Amino acid sequence: MSKAYVAKRLAMLFMVVLGVLVITFVITRVIPARPELLWAGSHPTEEQIERARKELRLDEPIYVQLYYYLKDFFTGDWGVSWRTRQPVLQDIMESLPATLELVFAAFAIAVMVGIPLGVLAAVRYGRLADGVVRVFSVLGASAPVFWIALIAQLVFSSWLGVLPGAKRVDESVVIETGFREITGFMILDSILQLNAAVLLDALKHLVLPALVLSLYPLGLTARMTRALMIEALNEYHSISLQVWGLPRRLVVYKYALKNVIAPVIASLGLSFGYTIIGAFMVELVFVWPGIGLYAALALLSFDYPAVIGCVVVVALVYSLVNMVVDIVHASLDPRVKL
Amino acid sequence: MASASSQVLWLIRRSKLSLVGLFIVAGFVVTGILAPFIVPYPEDARGETYNIEERFQPPSWEHPFGTDEYGRDVFSRVLMGARYSLIIAVGVVGLALLIGIPVGLVAGYVGGRVGSMLMRVTDMFLAFPPLLLAIALAATLGRGLFNTIIALSISWWPWYARLLYVRVTSVKNMPFVDSARLLGLGRLAIMFRHVLPNSLTPVTVQAALDMGSAILEAAGLSFLGVGVDPSTPEWGLLVTEGWASISSAWWISLFPGLAILVTVLGFNLLADALRESLDPRIRRIALTRRILG
Repeated sequence: MSKAYVAKRLAMLFMVVLGVLVITFVITRVIPARPELLWAGSHPTEEQIERARKELRLDEPIYVQLYYYLKDFFTGDWGVSWRTRQPVLQDIMESLPATLELVFAAFAIAVMVGIPLGVLAAVRYGRLADGVVRVFSVLGASAPVFWIALIAQLVFSSWLGVLPGAKRVDESVVIETGFREITGFMILDSILQLNAAVLLDALKHLVLPALVLSLYPLGLTARMTRALMIEALNEYHSISLQVWGLPRRLVVYKYALKNVIAPVIASLGLSFGYTIIGAFMVELVFVWPGIGLYAALALLSFDYPAVIGCVVVVALVYSLVNMVVDIVHASLDPRVKL
Repeated sequence: MASASSQVLWLIRRSKLSLVGLFIVAGFVVTGILAPFIVPYPEDARGETYNIEERFQPPSWEHPFGTDEYGRDVFSRVLMGARYSLIIAVGVVGLALLIGIPVGLVAGYVGGRVGSMLMRVTDMFLAFPPLLLAIALAATLGRGLFNTIIALSISWWPWYARLLYVRVTSVKNMPFVDSARLLGLGRLAIMFRHVLPNSLTPVTVQAALDMGSAILEAAGLSFLGVGVDPSTPEWGLLVTEGWASISSAWWISLFPGLAILVTVLGFNLLADALRESLDPRIRRIALTRRILG
């Protein structure tokens, strides 16, 4: 990997951001017959519609509208949410850490469980363990995540009562221990303040939604690892190592696995996209105060500026993650070129 | 494809899971087509009834999946849901192909500035995570079966455009295309009569198997309140309807969700097996395994 690669990839990111903005502009301003009706809240008065018309500059030519649309975006003026009466960008920034915490936890589970499962399946190719892993990983990709969330909440929280089924933390614990927000990442903040009570409580709240959310990327990681591992184990170099009498364990973990990690990481970028959309629904079920809950509530209450703000932010985060994944992949695999 | 049936046979011999997938998909399609004629309570399935004495009945012989808050038979509604899921799946994938195929074909065959511009636009759409663009579109267009299909297919076509593009760029350099050109055939004739038929198979196969994902994403849109109309017995919406009373009447949400899970699983099992059978590397691996033992 070179500096040139990173620079090129950054330039690409900028183009992608522009593309995302142009498409959202077309969807929100060009496709609807009267965009001001969408932007004026759920039951707008004549006055509100007129104000929305002015704010969107609908009387100006389309390229002028696009110019101001881009300008507003880059200056951070994303409109005001009808539901919370706060600037959309501020709302989003406040709720983003909760979502990232949840998504990171889900990804950590997916990678830590998915890669070993994939290796196991590949080593036992065609046997029972392989079949079980395959079915499990396909199940993870086939289940509607909101339904799994509802059922998990019902079973583990309502029926068994072993785990909390809503919110990020118990408010009383926060108040009793004098916990303050620093970064917005609950786990990180409680560690920074050496607050064991909040840390424990936050982890307890995190388990269920993170597990539910991890099912899809976990299945995908296991499946990718399995396929790549089978291939790597059957490359001529792996076969010859075995023919020379190297222990199979050594061939698997030292030589074959090395070839698998980089492409598996490369595939995580795409599953990140699915996961963050899954977070929309999981957060709604578990009342997790992240951007997913914010977006879902905005959708249910026709809060159009907030919906579009979330769409743009999620697309940006997704592109950013894909860029990071590409750069990591390139640094692991010297053959990668743009 | 003369070998289509032998291919299917090969698949089934290789993995029993693909046979399971085939059965599920066939069952789903048949249920979807026949639903209005086979549901035990057709009025309940259409959502026209309200039986106050029958509310929240747990599963029984009379109502295998129980009844919902309006006293409607959940089993009938789930069966009817297969029809809507089938319509959505076919609609989304069909419409996506209708947009994706021309874009991919022209971009791949014509190439040059037009081609790269078309692919840039495709890439712009692919910069959105799956479903996100559909959410934005659905929020703009409003609820409804037709709008759901439009919203999903607009976020869906770029995958097929890309797939076909890659295929066309390799097919157009094959010798038989060169000979067609030497024989004096026009560009359009070559494009539609020779390049397209020879590049289409992977795209259409992929599209058929993507119907499971279409069902899944449509259900997600319903859950977020931007899917089909409230009265429609679409599976995702049925799950959502049972949410409010899930702690006392779990069956209302459980069974439609299971229907989604099983159906999508069927498509995915089939897709999985097919991917392995089409991948020449895996065939080589199977061969080396047999030799090495």
